[in-house]
Amino acid sequence: MLSHFFLMVLYALLVSLFFTLLWRRDRRHQVTLFLQLFLGMVLGGLAAAWLMYPFPSGPPAPIP
Amino acid sequence: MAETDSTEAHQPATQVALPAPQLLLAGTLAWLVPGLGHIYLKRHFRGVAFFLLVLISVAVGCRLEGNLYRPDRKAPLTYLATAGALGMGTPYFILRYGLHYEGRLEAAGFEYGTAFLLTGGLMNLLLILDTWDIGSGKKE
Repeated sequence: MLSHFFLMVLYALLVSLFFTLLWRRDRRHQVTLFLQLFLGMVLGGLAAAWLMYPFPSGPPAPIP
Repeated sequence: MAETDSTEAHQPATQVALPAPQLLLAGTLAWLVPGLGHIYLKRHFRGVAFFLLVLISVAVGCRLEGNLYRPDRKAPLTYLATAGALGMGTPYFILRYGLHYEGRLEAAGFEYGTAFLLTGGLMNLLLILDTWDIGSGKKE
């Protein structure tokens, strides 16, 4: 449940489904938009993670 | 991005606008229970689907012990975040006052949970606007 990747995919799935149902009525357009949103979020997240990988994260923030 | 416009934009609005009291009722129902506004406007499938999506988002947020925002004078942005979280309607009050849910800062999933909880509220705010558009005949 606490895997970063699983949570990212779950979040992308929920948001993509939501906007697909909100913005499209036709089934074919729904599938297209869903794939665009879902893949855009998941692959975009992976790309951002890959770009940030060389940078050090620094010490963890103190818990107030 | 013009080709990604909503299909509703290419179709004439087929629905007659509801009178103001019914429109307000639909908006209020949409806020109180996610998806209920759509069900009231006879969009049953969409209503149930939206209900499930918002509820799953909120449930995952709670499972991860994310923050359910409340106003804090020392942090003005919490007012904005609270408005977003309040968008989920009745679930917010059930969590806050019924189950005394607050979230746990030390939890490993705190940040993710907060994102899921806020997203649930913001989704429902969009649903209220969608209900309003459908009820006023601007959208199918």
